Amino acid sequence: MENEILLSVEQLNKSFGDHEVLKQIDFSVTGGEVICIVGSSGSGKSTLLRCINRLEHQTSGKIYYHGQEVRDIQSEVNKYRAKVGMVFQSFNLFNNMSVLKNCMAATQKVLHLPQEEAFSRAIKHLKSVGMAPYINAMPDQLSGGQKQRVAIARSLCMNPELLLFDEPTSALDPEMVGEVLNVMKALAETGLTMLIVTHEMGFARDVSTRTIFMDKGYIAEDDVPERLFTNPQNPRTREFLSRFISG
Amino acid sequence: MSMAVFMTQDPTNSFQWMVFLAQKYSRLFLQGMWITLYVAVIGTLGGFLLGFLIGIVEDMKISADDSPVKKVLIRVLKIICKVYVELFRGTPMIVQAMIIFYGISQTGVQISPDIAGILVTLLNTGAYMTETVRAGINSIDAGQKEGALSLGMSPLNAMFMVILPQAFKNIIPEMANTFLTNLKMTSVLNVIGVSELFMMAKTAGGTYYKYFESYLVIALIYLVLCFIFNRIFKLIEKKMSVRKNYALAIEYMTND
Ligand SMILES: Nc1ncnc2c1ncn2[C@@H]1O[C@H](COP(=O)(O)OP(=O)(O)OP(=O)(O)O)[C@@H](O)[C@H]1O
Ligand SMILES: [Mg+2]
Repeated sequence: MENEILLSVEQLNKSFGDHEVLKQIDFSVTGGEVICIVGSSGSGKSTLLRCINRLEHQTSGKIYYHGQEVRDIQSEVNKYRAKVGMVFQSFNLFNNMSVLKNCMAATQKVLHLPQEEAFSRAIKHLKSVGMAPYINAMPDQLSGGQKQRVAIARSLCMNPELLLFDEPTSALDPEMVGEVLNVMKALAETGLTMLIVTHEMGFARDVSTRTIFMDKGYIAEDDVPERLFTNPQNPRTREFLSRFISG
Repeated sequence: MSMAVFMTQDPTNSFQWMVFLAQKYSRLFLQGMWITLYVAVIGTLGGFLLGFLIGIVEDMKISADDSPVKKVLIRVLKIICKVYVELFRGTPMIVQAMIIFYGISQTGVQISPDIAGILVTLLNTGAYMTETVRAGINSIDAGQKEGALSLGMSPLNAMFMVILPQAFKNIIPEMANTFLTNLKMTSVLNVIGVSELFMMAKTAGGTYYKYFESYLVIALIYLVLCFIFNRIFKLIEKKMSVRKNYALAIEYMTND
């Protein structure tokens, strides 16, 4: 899996009505990479992730997974999503299920794991995010940071090849941001391939192996964080970063 | 209260007449109550099921890459559902009862008034439940569905495992309401000869020409039935809304 291209996005365009939100997006994700996508609000970051996860449909362009075009055929999409997970800003834990059930529902229903195996997998990943003691809790009994850690564990239970994160810490109180970023940092160290939309510049700089800066629907810059954060080539990147540092 | 009130062999006032009729025709009233309950319960439950099915059909989305057969099928289903809902919401139940009962009889199929009554109640309930189910589904945050889909669940799995269980909880008060309405609305079914409470009151009142008292008896029965069911539903709602504190799984407190 290392060094193999997992996902490639080619000439992707997306419009809502006559509002072009994504323009000629071209990039690929290699196994083991941790890519952070940064950019100002409205630049199309969420839309890009949602297109990759098939929650949105591009106007033109293609997405390839292991060299195969990702088509909108429901059964194929389901299999693809089982491998390419997504963590949302608003957690999206199932409100009608306990923490444990949240982590077992898909492994049982989608992967058809037997009960005991689904259970031990859930416990393993809940432990890794420090949420195993809370297996009996319902989502609305948890703090934001706890919910997001459970959501991450739930995605991990599928043994994803690629995990997408859409601003996983933006809905959190400041004191809870750290606990989630730490979990993600630990995940990065395990070699999991991740594509992370974030406003946490420090995290992007320290953890990502590559950083993409999006501006007005375009990929304005795509580089290693060492260069992108200290010596950006595109003036728009410089402007964005300076606003961040001063703000 | 003196025992004289219950000397019902020779009733002189309305109250005594009520007691007299209730005793003399207790079998009729009980039988009517049974039919009323039976038609209302089965008709309502069937109607809920139909309402859920149609609510789900109406929530289905056609995506560009679906096969042509599937696209046509979904579209036709949606049209059928729409026409059905419009028809049943736009006409009175009493008229539906007549049309369905005599319509089916005219085709030569033997149908008992009770079955026709259940069918009318069911179809009527289904048309109204559809709206409630759809509103219930829409009230669930879109993130719930997206969370399920992002794990590879099919839209149908997402619906049955995640969305409907949550929507159902929100719909329960409306379902209780619908049942209580049906309990009362079965009274119109006397026009096709269903021997429910209303019909029985007519019969019981007829012999002595004491309709006022006879209808007072069934009014009381309806009132008591509604009161009891209302209480039961309130209890269920309360039971479902209590939040149990969760127990920390101390066996997993240490992280190794
Ligand atoms: N469903 C939609 N319908 C119409 N316009 C939309 C829709 N979703 C997003 N947009 C528009 O597309 C643009 C890009 O939105 P997107 O959510 O991708 O931005 P973003 O980079 O994720 O921003 P943020 O940092 O605020 O999350 C915005 O102008 C938004 O208004
Ligand atoms: Mg966004």
